[in-house]
Amino acid sequence: MNVLIVEDEKALTAELEIFLINCSYVCDVCFDGRSASEKIATNLYDFILIDLGLPDYEGLDLLKEAKKYNPEATCIILTARAEVNDRIKGLDLGADDYLAKPFSLLELQSRMQAITRRKFGLKNSVVPLGEFSIDLTNRTIAHADTLINAITKKEFDLVAYMLLHKNRTLTRSQLSEHIWGSIVNDDYDSNYIDAHIKNIRKKLSAYGPHDWIETVRGLGYRITTNN
Amino acid sequence: MKLGTKLTLFNTISKLVIVVLFVLLLPTLIRDINQNYTDNWLRKQKDKVLQIVKGPGIKNYIQNGEGYGSYNALLKEEYVSLDVDSSGENINTIKNEKRLVEGDTIQYRILSHTFTVGKQSYLLEIGKSVDTINETAVPLQSIAFEILLGMVLLTILADQVYSTYVLRPLGLIIRTKLIGHKFPNHAQYKKVRTNTSDFEYLDISIHKMIQTIESTFQKEREFISNASHELMTPISILQSKIENMFEQEDIADDVKVRLLEMQKILNRLKSITKTLLLISQIENDQFLKEDNIQVAELIQEVYDEISIRLQEKSIHCEIAIPPDWYLMKVNKFLLFNLFFNLINNAIKYNKEGGEIYITGAVESKLFIVQITDTGIGIPPERLPHIFNRFKKFSQSLQQDSFGLGLPIVRSIADFHRIGIETNSEPGVGTTFKLIFPVTIIGQKGGI
Repeated sequence: MNVLIVEDEKALTAELEIFLINCSYVCDVCFDGRSASEKIATNLYDFILIDLGLPDYEGLDLLKEAKKYNPEATCIILTARAEVNDRIKGLDLGADDYLAKPFSLLELQSRMQAITRRKFGLKNSVVPLGEFSIDLTNRTIAHADTLINAITKKEFDLVAYMLLHKNRTLTRSQLSEHIWGSIVNDDYDSNYIDAHIKNIRKKLSAYGPHDWIETVRGLGYRITTNN
Repeated sequence: MKLGTKLTLFNTISKLVIVVLFVLLLPTLIRDINQNYTDNWLRKQKDKVLQIVKGPGIKNYIQNGEGYGSYNALLKEEYVSLDVDSSGENINTIKNEKRLVEGDTIQYRILSHTFTVGKQSYLLEIGKSVDTINETAVPLQSIAFEILLGMVLLTILADQVYSTYVLRPLGLIIRTKLIGHKFPNHAQYKKVRTNTSDFEYLDISIHKMIQTIESTFQKEREFISNASHELMTPISILQSKIENMFEQEDIADDVKVRLLEMQKILNRLKSITKTLLLISQIENDQFLKEDNIQVAELIQEVYDEISIRLQEKSIHCEIAIPPDWYLMKVNKFLLFNLFFNLINNAIKYNKEGGEIYITGAVESKLFIVQITDTGIGIPPERLPHIFNRFKKFSQSLQQDSFGLGLPIVRSIADFHRIGIETNSEPGVGTTFKLIFPVTIIGQKGGI
């Protein structure tokens, strides 16, 4: 899939590019609004990532152009200008999502995947994991045909996020940013991920083996699948 | 004491002093006036008598050396006597003297006058009883006193009314410009209507002062907001770099562990920056207040988020919020964070296996939510500072936070005009009492 990254911070653009190429996207980059405007008018993209704080261009105008010339593209706003109005305006103008800087690259990827899933109406959202199956649409975990009701919303979020980034080690910071990112509080190192994982394992072990959730010593957690 | 009261009090006292002085002087004054009047009257009577005597001649009144005397009626209030004077002295006086009249001794004001007809000198006496003279003094005094008192009361009342009227702009200035002032204030400057130049001056001075404070606040907010924004981009770059490096297969695990530590430190920086930015956004009125939320539901949501922390510390949390109460025209995201931070604090400063009670109740039309913990408490000397930014009150216990939890709570509460009261006893626990104003609360069925 083709991604256009419009971001004037070159160092950040470079990291985005590396990450997205690793995730098998084809990337095109622009460091200013003028060239982005040209690219949007001439090429077709699946994703357009727009930084609102461009020095030469009003980011929201670029969004309008993108909607005009690339109506099929998914637009995600990336901004350090976390003004509430910007968010509302951006979403009103047809942006599909909005990520405030600093964001985790994993979060960006999961948002992109979620939108793709939504846009293409991917039906087969039940993923088998060992003896369990994870239903991403209905947000449930089942063992054979038995739904495991004891799994809480937070616990499901964790499993789903790890599943989305399967075979990749996720650090506790990345996991807690995903599930507690919107809460503003003054703990910077409170880590309750371990407790959550412990609970998940306890709940699953009543039904069957759950060796697909791996602890990567000293680093974090990972869901491994064979396929 | 209020200025108006002081002025009225001073007016009253000064007027009373004048009245008392006047009342004390009144008897003397009235006596003098009466005496003057009587003396004049006596002199006129004398002139009349002399006129009469001159006409028909003295002989008609005095025969054979026997004097003439006339008393009026029974009461002996006045008398006139004419007699031959044998002393040879020339008398012309007015004095108070006693006279024996028909067995009664009566005090008279007497005019004595000698005059000569032919070679014989005569003595004329005209008298008026002192009692008659003083008769008028008492009613006069009381009338004077009553009128005076009435006038004093009237002027005090007038003073009171006028001073209230003239001081009204002062009250208005204090009420609207000082007490009611909230920062930031986007309202236009409204002149207080007054024709007292002192108040005009006061109003303008206060306005200038507020402008100065306002611009200082504004600068501080702008600084925090700009600084936070500017920090976000480098943090973002660093975070992406660390994440990408972490993914790289050729990086050894021990390097990854160090990357993880860097990520943690970066998270800390990110948290602080995000929190400061949030506070500055709240203070700049950047949040909409459009949500209606059920209090019990909101607290349940917070509880669900936070239950893992309760579980980790084996803390028992009891929630008793009446389900029919709503918060109207509020910002849900902010209120969620307010409760999250308060409950999170109640966990953080609690003992292992402690308790937390979250209760909601209506007290004199206000909705009150109390969050009580059985934790370490806050020493009284620290209590006034707990809402200050970066003020940590226990270094050792708070290693993983930076002292912005309660400042967030305060900013969100101020933004919604929610009152906060804190009670704490070291070693026993702390209670945060949130007082929701009538304007944002509603009961199911009532909205």
